[in-house]
Amino acid sequence: MSVTFGLVAAWQLIAPDLGRDVAWLGWGRVRYAHTQGIMLGWLANAFFAFLYHAVPILTGRPVTSARLGVWIFALWNFAVMAPGWTLVLAGVSQPLEWAEFPLVVDVVAILALALAGVQFLPGFFRRGIESLYVSSWYIIGGLVFTLLSYPMGNVVPEFLPGAAGAAISGLWIHDAVGLFVTPMALAILYFVIPASTGRPIFSHFLSMLGFWLLFFLYPLNGTHHYVYSVIPMAAQLTAIVASALLGVTVVIVVTNLFLSMRGAGLLPADPALRFVGAGTFFYVVVSLQGSAQAQMAVNETVHFTDWVVAHSHMAMLGFASYAAAAGLVHAWQRMPAARYNAAAISWAYWLITIGLVGMVVDLTIGGLVQGELWKSGAPWIDSVTASRVYWVARAHIGSILAAGFIALLVGLTTGPRGAGMAVRSAPPADGHDEVAPRLAPVTEAV
Amino acid sequence: MSRAGQALRTSYLVACVAGVAFFVLSVALLGVWPARVLDAQTAAMAPEKPLEPTTSEKRGRAVYAREGCAYCHTQQIRYLHADMARFGAPTLAWETRRDTPHLWGTRRIGPDLSRVGGARSLDWHYAHLYAPRAIVASSVMPGYPALFDGAPDRPRQDARDLVAYLDSLGRARELAGPEGEARAKEGCNCPDDEMQQMAFEGALNAHPARAIRTLESAPSLAGGDLARGQALYGRHCANCHGATGAGDGPGARYLVPAPARLAEHSYTTARLAEVLWHGVAGSAMPAWRDHSTEDRAALARAVQALSAPRPEPEVPAHLVALGRDVYAANCAQCHGVDGDGRGSAAAKLAMAPANFTAQRLSLTEAVRVLREGVHGSPMAPWTTRLTDAERLAAAHYVRSLFRATPPATEAR
Repeated sequence: MSVTFGLVAAWQLIAPDLGRDVAWLGWGRVRYAHTQGIMLGWLANAFFAFLYHAVPILTGRPVTSARLGVWIFALWNFAVMAPGWTLVLAGVSQPLEWAEFPLVVDVVAILALALAGVQFLPGFFRRGIESLYVSSWYIIGGLVFTLLSYPMGNVVPEFLPGAAGAAISGLWIHDAVGLFVTPMALAILYFVIPASTGRPIFSHFLSMLGFWLLFFLYPLNGTHHYVYSVIPMAAQLTAIVASALLGVTVVIVVTNLFLSMRGAGLLPADPALRFVGAGTFFYVVVSLQGSAQAQMAVNETVHFTDWVVAHSHMAMLGFASYAAAAGLVHAWQRMPAARYNAAAISWAYWLITIGLVGMVVDLTIGGLVQGELWKSGAPWIDSVTASRVYWVARAHIGSILAAGFIALLVGLTTGPRGAGMAVRSAPPADGHDEVAPRLAPVTEAV
Repeated sequence: MSRAGQALRTSYLVACVAGVAFFVLSVALLGVWPARVLDAQTAAMAPEKPLEPTTSEKRGRAVYAREGCAYCHTQQIRYLHADMARFGAPTLAWETRRDTPHLWGTRRIGPDLSRVGGARSLDWHYAHLYAPRAIVASSVMPGYPALFDGAPDRPRQDARDLVAYLDSLGRARELAGPEGEARAKEGCNCPDDEMQQMAFEGALNAHPARAIRTLESAPSLAGGDLARGQALYGRHCANCHGATGAGDGPGARYLVPAPARLAEHSYTTARLAEVLWHGVAGSAMPAWRDHSTEDRAALARAVQALSAPRPEPEVPAHLVALGRDVYAANCAQCHGVDGDGRGSAAAKLAMAPANFTAQRLSLTEAVRVLREGVHGSPMAPWTTRLTDAERLAAAHYVRSLFRATPPATEAR
């Protein structure tokens, strides 16, 4: 659904009269539905699904309550997503990026997130925090900090005027990806690698170092969305410096992830691991790109252009959606009753990868063209006509992406039940099939 | 528990506290503190009695928010010379003090709208909202027919409010005037802060399309390239003025006053230079200051080429004196004794009267205008005041006022 909204918005840029007479298909409304859908409809649901697989293994006990699970599912999908989409398409929304669902929906979302905390978190504190694996930390951090930042970003700016509101809004734009999406995605990457390769991760110490640095640095990034604005320069510079440091941190995290995957090859046989590898790759690229584009000299040209659109697709699609797909595929391989279509999942991987790379390259070039034309002083409309070729390409590439997501859906809903179990036929490197021991922190001998 | 375990546990607890502290720090340092600075700045730099938005403008703002306009149009001019040259002075904190929630935007597909107030005529806005490509051929903006009752001249409340809102953007600072700017500069108290000083540099409103009614002369044009001019004309002008200059482009029927029938006019190059630089205030004709001198010269050449030379009609002898008298008695107050458009009443009119020394209408067009007037301009129909013969005489007379200059190509 969310990809479809994105596809409609992409086509409307090259065929602007598409849906002209249907008010709810207006470009702006569809655009609201696209990003909220991707973050809350697709990623959040996928993350929750993965937590039901991972949390019992990580904590050694079931989640709090199956009935609570039904409630969280129902609230999230029928009291957040369904009314959220309906309302923004009907014209009831907030014009705040990554926070377009109206206040009434925000209230339910916060409630559901709190319930998710009750559902998933208690088990982690049973054995003492010194024995928590990094994925557990990311899950705790993600849920706790989302509960802190969601109200900050979705409610506060609705009541704060102008530049002050923009400052908070900017924080949320980054916290949404940094404190909700990234921790959940990293929890998956750190979980799937040892579970799939049969080896513990390369370094528990590095994983924890990366974890804490990310949580220290991510919140300080937000103001980089408003460089050269009236927001005090001291705040802008803080965010710019934090953005650079964040890039360094991500290099640490990604180095650890890749070293943990060593031996799996560039194209691992396990599709879950394959998604992990690509997601890790896009994570480091998008993060270093983010560090660069926060710098004033780069920001001057690329801000407001399609470059940024490419950047956010690499983050939410390249990094987060790959992680989400890895988590789902990995969990499906361990459920005897789950249908599993290996061919479709392979197709999904290739279609999404081709689509993503194509879109990022296309929009990055388009963004540079736009930025340069704006600086040249050429008439505004020249930048619109020059963009057309990139928008045409993007709309078509979007269709490849949509096909990829359909393939993923097919892969997880068709095929013989339990077919995913076959992927695990190769004996794990440590000789036993139990995942949990590999997910315990290992104190390294230095 | 082992000693190492205890130490690890303690350090994790410290890190947990630090993690929350960093989040609190981020909100304090990047959210609360900037808000306080901005509030103080607003208090110090806002005009004494800043213009408040009207109820209609506030409702229009809600329509703008609902339709996601901010996702293609920013309302934040950055402290960068490229932004300032295109849109005007950087946005000061006090200018957005009533913007709750903010509509700054992070993507520019269309231009920034911070200072669009007064840049476009209302009929342009209505027509453009209803059918963007009827006005701007290569626009990718969606149309919003749902805001109208079937036609751009029948806007619903939502459309009226939205246009009222658009036309208010940037107005508060503009109305604060030089006194307001002086007060802001004093309140800023930042003579050494290079970036903050940029807020007071250059034009407050640099919108390249904003029509200006001014006596200042425009940069002169010469030597336009006809082929280039025709291509540009097709892209930028034909939508309203029609491909052949008959004033029958798809946007023409939505605009009041209607776009000029260029094929029925001969313009001096100086007049075209003026119109392309200043626009025609009071009409939907924007200025084209964002186009290079060469391109504007090319456009002037293309416009001149639209009116093919035709045999000059003979002026019947008995109409010469009559035309002069009719003109002096009825037209000179606005169009000026010499036909230069500077009559004694001209300054008070919403639209500048035509300057007949710089443009010559075809005889049929002059007769038509005298008969029908120019709807939407101060030029009324003259059928009740003048006889057919008097109007014909006046038409001949205004044509005789034209002071031809060589066309653009030969002017170099």
